[in-house]
Amino acid sequence: MSAVMTAEAPPRSSARRKARPGRGAFWLIAPALVLIGVFLVLPYLNIIAMSLRPTAVGAPYGAGFTLGNYAHALGDGYILGVLADTLVLGATTVPICLLLGYPVAYHLARTRSRWGSLLYVLVLSPLLVGVVVRSFGWLILLSGNGVINRVLIDLGLVETGLQLMNNRLGVTVALVHVFLPFMILPLVGVIQSIDPTLEQAARSLGASRFKVFWRLVLPMSWPGIQAGTVLVFVLTLSAYVTPVMLGGAQVKTMSVLVVQNLIDNFQWPTGAAQALVLSACGMVAVWVYARLTGRFMKGLQ
Amino acid sequence: MRTKRKPLATRVADAMGLAYVGAVYVFLLLPIAVIVLMSLNAGEFLTFPPQGISLRWFGALFANEAFMRAIGTSLQVAAIATVCSTVIGVAGALYVVRHATRLREGLRMMLMLPLMLPEILTAIALLFFLYASGVGTRTMFGLLVGHVLVTLPYVFTNVASSLYNQDGSLEQAARSLGASPWRAFVRVTLPLIKPGIITGALFAFVISFDLFNMSLLLKGIGMTTLPLQLFDYLRWDFDPTAAAVSTVSIVVTLVAVVWVDRTVGLRSLRFG
Repeated sequence: MSAVMTAEAPPRSSARRKARPGRGAFWLIAPALVLIGVFLVLPYLNIIAMSLRPTAVGAPYGAGFTLGNYAHALGDGYILGVLADTLVLGATTVPICLLLGYPVAYHLARTRSRWGSLLYVLVLSPLLVGVVVRSFGWLILLSGNGVINRVLIDLGLVETGLQLMNNRLGVTVALVHVFLPFMILPLVGVIQSIDPTLEQAARSLGASRFKVFWRLVLPMSWPGIQAGTVLVFVLTLSAYVTPVMLGGAQVKTMSVLVVQNLIDNFQWPTGAAQALVLSACGMVAVWVYARLTGRFMKGLQ
Repeated sequence: MRTKRKPLATRVADAMGLAYVGAVYVFLLLPIAVIVLMSLNAGEFLTFPPQGISLRWFGALFANEAFMRAIGTSLQVAAIATVCSTVIGVAGALYVVRHATRLREGLRMMLMLPLMLPEILTAIALLFFLYASGVGTRTMFGLLVGHVLVTLPYVFTNVASSLYNQDGSLEQAARSLGASPWRAFVRVTLPLIKPGIITGALFAFVISFDLFNMSLLLKGIGMTTLPLQLFDYLRWDFDPTAAAVSTVSIVVTLVAVVWVDRTVGLRSLRFG
């Protein structure tokens, strides 16, 4: 592979050759290519092979090949239910993230406050603090005897604690928190690139604020919305820690099921097939979404 | 900004917008603030409001051998992974920005690939692959490979963006004055892209220190990192020791963030 690429890399004209003194510089990229080729591309190809192996007792997988794992994953009502739950979780987390994230992204992109840098840290903080720590924070807040229930009871708003976790609500709240930065950051970039004088011009020509937002800012920030929503959706589908910690035994997602099959049940082919079914569903959902929003985009223009 | 006297409706709308944005900022900070508060709790349990302020749970943490060992392992793994991904990432960024021609966009995508694929799926794929190739997870090798893979894009993208900001003419000037390629790199290019390297490396360190899914699937037998140990601990115990160890993890992150802000400013961070 490396021989082919070095043969292609140098430009033909001698002028370009002179301008690029490090022609034999291919060794610079070689470690990265080896790392990703051997430890990312090959393993992903290997997952497909694994999903076609039969399961075995006392070993992670048996000899030979079979389609049985896919038949099992797609024919079992329980697994299909978990798959549907996972997709619904993604489909609810994304719009909430967008509704919470867009105004913050706009504020962050346009603020000239000297606290801007601090606010940026605030947005980044959930991203940089580990997912176990963040979910633990929500555990303290949402548990039966947790901070929120304590405050509500002390204020006399409720008599007994509300069930805020070990259900879909708790998982969704924590997922929104965990993935909100992934919605905000692409949006900040896009909104910053919209010239504020355009908005001022539209306003001075008599457009209402709402109209300026709907006809100008929103269409122009569409690439950021698309990037953020797809990112949050994909991340939600593959989330493992948050559903386990806040969903308890009540909320099962595909990732939880897959890890259970790999680690507890030691059935690698089953887990591999389920992981691939989830990935395929995710990809189809993203593709359909991209098609639909592409059309919507044209409608806006 | 627009006119001096805004109508009342506009001012109310402004105030409501600001309140909404403020509420989201509070939402973002809340779980982290509550952990730090709880770690200082003098009481026996994770109860609210805290029963006085004390450092007793930090004492309990330092006496907890499992947690201390896990912190040690996490620091070690993060340090090794950061060094590896920084060396590989800086070299890769140099090639992609300075030397690649037609393949540039493809190579860039390839180096960003680990960030675009779900971490847990990559971890599963690596687990299968390590067994299939006979390496297994007896040593730390698989875990380190996983951490280097995930942190590489952060180093690459930060270094590449600081390289794009230099046009390379200074390095060429040094070369034409007779400096060897290595000398030109060390004396000219390296100081110019140092902020990007520091940002990328610190980011890689923080990401690796907090990485969960990769560690869950690829850790060797009897080995545990801080996020794994905390996860296990919370299955059975729910006391302020967990808050104390989380606070330690938050402080590690905070040090890195402040460092980045002092060196280059946070807004220059690159995520993809």
